[in-house]
Amino acid sequence: MKIDLEKVAQLARLKIEPEKREMFERQLQSIVEMVEKLPQMEEAYVGVDPAHPMQLREDTVRPSLRREAILANAPQTQAGCVVVPKTVE
Amino acid sequence: MKMEFEPVIGLEVHAELSTETKIYCGCKNEFGGEVNSHCCEICTGMPGTLPTLNSRVVDYAIKMGHALHCKINNVCKQDRKNYFYPDLPKAYQISQADIPLCEHGYVDVLLDESCHSKRIGVTRIHIEEDAGKLLHDESFLGSLIDFNRCGVPLIEIVSEPDMRSSEEAKAYLETIKGILGYLDISDCKMQEGSIRCDVNVSLRPKGSEKFGNRCEMKNVNSFSGAQRAIEYEIKRQSEILGKGGTVSQETRRWDDAKGQSFPMRSKENADDYRYFPEPDLGTIVVSPEHVEELRAQIPELPGEKLQRYVKKCGLAYFDANLLCENVEKYTFFERVIEIGGCSLQAAANWLNGDVTRLLGERMTTLFATCLTPEKLIGMLRLIEGGQISNTAGKTVIEEIMFTEKTAEEVVKEKELMQINDTGALEKTVREVIEKNGKVVADYRGGKSNALGFLVGQCMRASGGKANPAAVREILLKQLG
Amino acid sequence: MELYEFSAVELSRMLRARECSSAELTRSVLERIEKVEKRVRAYLTVDREGALAAAERADERFAAGETLPPLSGIPIGVKDNICTRGMRTTCASKMLDNFVPPYNATVIERLQSAGAVVTGKLNLDEFAMGSSCENSHFQKTANPHDLTRVPGGSSGGSAAALAAGEAILTLGSDTGGSIRQPAAYCGIVGLKPTYGAVSRYGLVAFASSLDQIGPMARTVEDAALLFSAIRGADSRDATCAAREYAPLSLSSDVRGMRIGVPEEYYGDGVEAAVKAAVHAQLQELEKAGAKLIPIRLPSTPYALSAYYIISSAEASSNLARYDGVRYGFRSERVENLEDVYLNTRSEGFGDECKRRIMLGTFVLSSGYYDAYYKRAKLLQQRIAAEFTEAFKSCDAIVTPTAPDTAFPFGAHSDDPLKMYASDICTVTVNIAGLPAVSIPCGKDAHGLPIGMQIIGGKFTEEKILSLAKACEEMAGGFNRLPALD
Repeated sequence: MKIDLEKVAQLARLKIEPEKREMFERQLQSIVEMVEKLPQMEEAYVGVDPAHPMQLREDTVRPSLRREAILANAPQTQAGCVVVPKTVE
Repeated sequence: MKMEFEPVIGLEVHAELSTETKIYCGCKNEFGGEVNSHCCEICTGMPGTLPTLNSRVVDYAIKMGHALHCKINNVCKQDRKNYFYPDLPKAYQISQADIPLCEHGYVDVLLDESCHSKRIGVTRIHIEEDAGKLLHDESFLGSLIDFNRCGVPLIEIVSEPDMRSSEEAKAYLETIKGILGYLDISDCKMQEGSIRCDVNVSLRPKGSEKFGNRCEMKNVNSFSGAQRAIEYEIKRQSEILGKGGTVSQETRRWDDAKGQSFPMRSKENADDYRYFPEPDLGTIVVSPEHVEELRAQIPELPGEKLQRYVKKCGLAYFDANLLCENVEKYTFFERVIEIGGCSLQAAANWLNGDVTRLLGERMTTLFATCLTPEKLIGMLRLIEGGQISNTAGKTVIEEIMFTEKTAEEVVKEKELMQINDTGALEKTVREVIEKNGKVVADYRGGKSNALGFLVGQCMRASGGKANPAAVREILLKQLG
Repeated sequence: MELYEFSAVELSRMLRARECSSAELTRSVLERIEKVEKRVRAYLTVDREGALAAAERADERFAAGETLPPLSGIPIGVKDNICTRGMRTTCASKMLDNFVPPYNATVIERLQSAGAVVTGKLNLDEFAMGSSCENSHFQKTANPHDLTRVPGGSSGGSAAALAAGEAILTLGSDTGGSIRQPAAYCGIVGLKPTYGAVSRYGLVAFASSLDQIGPMARTVEDAALLFSAIRGADSRDATCAAREYAPLSLSSDVRGMRIGVPEEYYGDGVEAAVKAAVHAQLQELEKAGAKLIPIRLPSTPYALSAYYIISSAEASSNLARYDGVRYGFRSERVENLEDVYLNTRSEGFGDECKRRIMLGTFVLSSGYYDAYYKRAKLLQQRIAAEFTEAFKSCDAIVTPTAPDTAFPFGAHSDDPLKMYASDICTVTVNIAGLPAVSIPCGKDAHGLPIGMQIIGGKFTEEKILSLAKACEEMAGGFNRLPALD
């Protein structure tokens, strides 16, 4: 399987510098070739494990964090909110 | 020959659940409040945090599943839906992919006053988290993000493409909303965004079994908007098809202000959500006993109730519908049915008429007043027994709603007993005839509706206490 | 002997006997850090003031005659992918260079309530992706046994700090060998607990279904001590097992113990010196009364592929949140929203993270999911089943921890596959959710430590630690610091 670096990078929101494109392509290709050696499996994959049910949480309110704590690490804030470049024109 | 097209409509309804806390953390699930005031490290997606699933979300979703006759997948899981957007802190939404909590259901939707109904298939109901809100204003440095809504629990109800008109779609949406309200699992406040929908529309030649290319419309924020969006889309697609063109399968954005839909940019269309099982959560297992416990908690639903009121209680559709829309009114009315001893239509008339008007005037609700089913029935029996007039009832109802007094007590205290004493009535009638010479002349000249006016005048003169039937009889006699 | 050289168990006794104070001990460790850190570069953050304040609090409570948990007053270093409230937590990434968590990981809460002294945060491969610590954005940690070589990874800082005497105990995390391999390279003890034994709340996720926090120490009893303090159910982690634990009690009696020896782990890829050292240890165990049982784990050759698919898939999703919006680094070159995403992520992540994010994105993308992710998950089930079967005939399985010993800086830089291959002995354990401990097992011709891995069935940490203790006694103790001069 040939990996479409362009498409994968866009999905992952990564920009690949032109000088690194060849390296990533080669390395990813060799990893893909390695993982392709997995045997064919007959079984169907279900993804649930009823023998180990998950404990659910009680619907009880716990204190939230102070707004300052929520915003303390944000690169840009205004009026109690995180700011990003305008999402609509 | 001009080809006739049939619309095929499917709906995805997102309803916020009215739990105490969010779906994956203990923050308050509450609309409004200051921006970013109901947030913690979990719902803002800080590094290292983990979700824990709120048990009530599962219960509520199963209840909705029961109400929509679904199969409950009591062993299921959650999956991640990956995409980047500033209102989605983890860059994935925890949702459900291949195993939804509920699937393969249906709902019967009433389409007209004769209670004709149509069965709409429900493909699935799954649980997921809501995203935050982006705020826009000229004075802002960019778009602002309020994370309060992040992690608010949602159920997504996906219908089969079973609807064939915008009216059917609207009736379906109203039915879903009614059921959510009856189950008391969602606030259903459209303007607060607690219930939203996406619309799928395609057209096909009438009689064809095959589906045409489908357009999904996002950003439909109200039920009336959904109806407008569907009508617009039917018109748009039939114009394309009418000209021999092809509808392209795409996602479109509905702009309700402009009354138009626009294709979304191709980049937004090209999303690949890369669903995979949420590794931070385990398998959801609900015991069959608990599934049945929840089934037992499902009340009679609005459609069934409405039909019973019309078919068994003999109410007019209009009145039955009004009662069914208000939990206090129908709860009250159910007690009236149980106790009995009065005309149910009369009880409905009073509840939907004067009682509703007085509640509006006083800005209160039925259960906050002193009115009980017993007191209302007491009054209705006085009217039906001829002891008081309907007019006097208007005075009585206000008193029994807002004081502890019973109808009998009010009637006694205010002397509202209907006057059946012929002697007293004859005197009143005589006086009215003397004062209204012109109307009397009209009546005698053949204007029969003048009689009604004279009856009314007599009633007024008696302070509403006269028995209208007796008055009418005496009037006829005196007018010769 | 300096205070920083003692074991935690010994120091715990000395603190109670008032033979030393926590402040003296903490100062001893801090001075050691000052002395050797320029050469070892294990710490990303040293919290001098915080550590001394915590030490004084512990001393006050000892002075008041309180009965305190065994970890009270003991200096512990923490891998820098475990969140510490108010203390920068970087994951050794430019992306989180300035990130200060507003909350504590569950393990940190447990250490604090046990009265432990947190000395600071330790270096790792960026977001725990790597086997050499060379993928750290900030610095390359050196192996105290040979400063020209890597300490292993990703918990390289945690392993090196112990071997250099810069901490008494440390916390690491292990997704595919990240505790055990650096423990092997640095000649210390590292336990990767059963998946679900220790809460992951506050551990910055790499691959959620494989990550576990675990103890690293210079003796087996020390590792057991730290493990006892951090394990246990946590309502904040749905994947943490809800079970009660009896206190750990290690016995070094191996008589009758059945030790499985899987031939797949002693293949051509494993260096001869490593094989020889592990075989020598096995023979000693046999002499002491253990039974060696040859076993087969036939799906082992596929484990690495399954591991890279599952871990990268989860990582691609877990690392999507680093987008320059809410915390951490945001690119300066930003005109619009798309720039914030693309430039922040391109400038903020190192190459290894990018490789794994892209691999994970690829295997989950539409059209490939079934061929890669589903197949890997099925293989995971098969590998787990093979272990379950094996544990019917043995109590523990012994393998080399790594196929090699510490390699020189830059040796595998341009060949990710070569680097990934060093995880070959450890990834199966994560895939099957089992506990495993790596212990020192002699040295190679360069004088570099060799590691031996003991794998147990789920929640049998006591058993594998007991076996580890037996080996420790046979070796005359593990707690020997290399000369750094």
